[in-house]
Amino acid sequence: MSCQIDDARHYRDATAVVTVYGMTNAIELQHLSKSYGEVHAVRDVSLTVGAGEVFCLLGPNGAGKTTTVEIAEGQRVPSSGRVTVLGRDPARGERALRDRVGIVLQDTAVPVDLTVGEILEMTARWYSRPRRPDELIDLVELDAKRDTRIEKLSGGQRRRLDLALGLAGSPDVLFLDEPTTGFDPHARRAAWSTIRALCGDGTTVVLTTHYMDEAQALADRVGVMVGGEIIACGPPEALGGRDQAPTEIRFVLPDGLDAGDLPELPAPSAVSQDARGVLITTDAGLEVTHTLTGWALERGHRLERFTVAQPTLEDIYLALTEASS
Amino acid sequence: MTRDIALTGWQVRYEQLAFWRNRRAAFFSLMFPLIYLLVFGTLTHGAHLDARGGLAMIDFYVPGIVTYAIVLIGFNTTALNFAYRRTNGVFKRIRATPLPWASYVVGALASTFLVIALSVVVMLVVGIALFGAHASLDTLPGLLSVLLLGSVCFTVLGVAGSRLVNKPEGGMGILMIITLPLTFISNIWFPIDGAPGWVQDLAGAFPLKPLADGVATAFDPSTAGPGFAGHDLLVLGLWTLAGCAMMANTLRSLSRRA
Repeated sequence: MSCQIDDARHYRDATAVVTVYGMTNAIELQHLSKSYGEVHAVRDVSLTVGAGEVFCLLGPNGAGKTTTVEIAEGQRVPSSGRVTVLGRDPARGERALRDRVGIVLQDTAVPVDLTVGEILEMTARWYSRPRRPDELIDLVELDAKRDTRIEKLSGGQRRRLDLALGLAGSPDVLFLDEPTTGFDPHARRAAWSTIRALCGDGTTVVLTTHYMDEAQALADRVGVMVGGEIIACGPPEALGGRDQAPTEIRFVLPDGLDAGDLPELPAPSAVSQDARGVLITTDAGLEVTHTLTGWALERGHRLERFTVAQPTLEDIYLALTEASS
Repeated sequence: MTRDIALTGWQVRYEQLAFWRNRRAAFFSLMFPLIYLLVFGTLTHGAHLDARGGLAMIDFYVPGIVTYAIVLIGFNTTALNFAYRRTNGVFKRIRATPLPWASYVVGALASTFLVIALSVVVMLVVGIALFGAHASLDTLPGLLSVLLLGSVCFTVLGVAGSRLVNKPEGGMGILMIITLPLTFISNIWFPIDGAPGWVQDLAGAFPLKPLADGVATAFDPSTAGPGFAGHDLLVLGLWTLAGCAMMANTLRSLSRRA
């Protein structure tokens, strides 16, 4: 399936980029395929990412996410299809484009004998719009490590340095390959707020991740890739019909009551009961909840562990990827 | 253009910073040849080579060990360094940035040159000041020409030689297998004047012996004139041309997209 933007709602403050490039799409992939002999790593992927948008690619290992991203980065050449990033063909490797694109690889290879401050200073020099090393160090909270050699950094600190290196040239488009793998929960929240701050500046972000909460927290749109194809695409709240999925209501009835004692429900609902309690699945979550809670309050029943939930992004993701593999 | 030259200059600075911080590599590149020079210089102090008209042994060993240093730093270290960067994805990352590929490569090679220059100067100074090696301003043009060409020659061959190294961990061993046997037939550790003709011809076809002999010409008190070692320079020049072609090929394959 193709994954186009159908709705300008997702563009954030993209005016700066729009004026510079006279367009609203930062990245366009059209019928993109990449094969290695008999292996089809990417099959007919079409995808647009709007300027200032955060787009997240989800998918199991080997689904073709990294290959797709590497083609957009200009690291790989597609077998067929058309790619433009900021209106240019990344495979041509133009310096003007590289100047505007930041890439955070999974394991950035850097001279480990340099200090954090030195590598940031060195890297920022390569760009026409360099960010000051102090500002970068601030952004990723490595203030205490400015004069520490890279080889002495912990895994999480290295990843934060990778992020800072990707930002050194104030990029218009930033590619993040699993940016918070190996972070502790604190550092992940900090990295997310850095990425969100960037989006506020109009930077377009393409990220791959294994973490559903990361996609949920950051992405305007999510694309799910399996077997080289994009099988679902949309805002995290609506992916795979998530916004239309039935509501699940769970609770435990007091001793002596069972599902047969429940009041008549106002809409078609599936009621089941097991050792863990009652599960009601319905399209009318609001009305059913109202009836149930009203009944319980009136009768003085305590409904323990009462929850009302939509399927999580992870539920949807697992259902989608299992169905297609 | 000006900006790219400045960028290249900055790259040299950061390459140097990183090089000198890695003590083990710096020790290996600089101290090893110096230790050899100190040992051979001390052991053969006052000895002469009758086969070469009574040439002082130190005038044989300074050119030999200087050659060894140029081979070690220019070829072995460069090959290992490029192999390491290739397998660790350094080149891949550089290609994704706006730093020109040429600025990056020239910066790395110029940094190697600085290390070679320092090593050669230290050994010349030690050889002349400590062991009384024969130094003459008359043969300085010849000395500089052969040192310069030799440094370029082994450095470009080193870039090409990085292809022989699949895994940097075992790389030094592979490179030693190539260079060490040649050092034994190239007037580096002992004169091969008495060796069979075919051994000398074989050695003369590789660039080590021409470099050692070219430097030795400048240190030989019997050399008259500026000390240009014509034949040695020719062989080194041909190897440099071949090395440049192989280096260009290697750099192209490193910058190719998959």
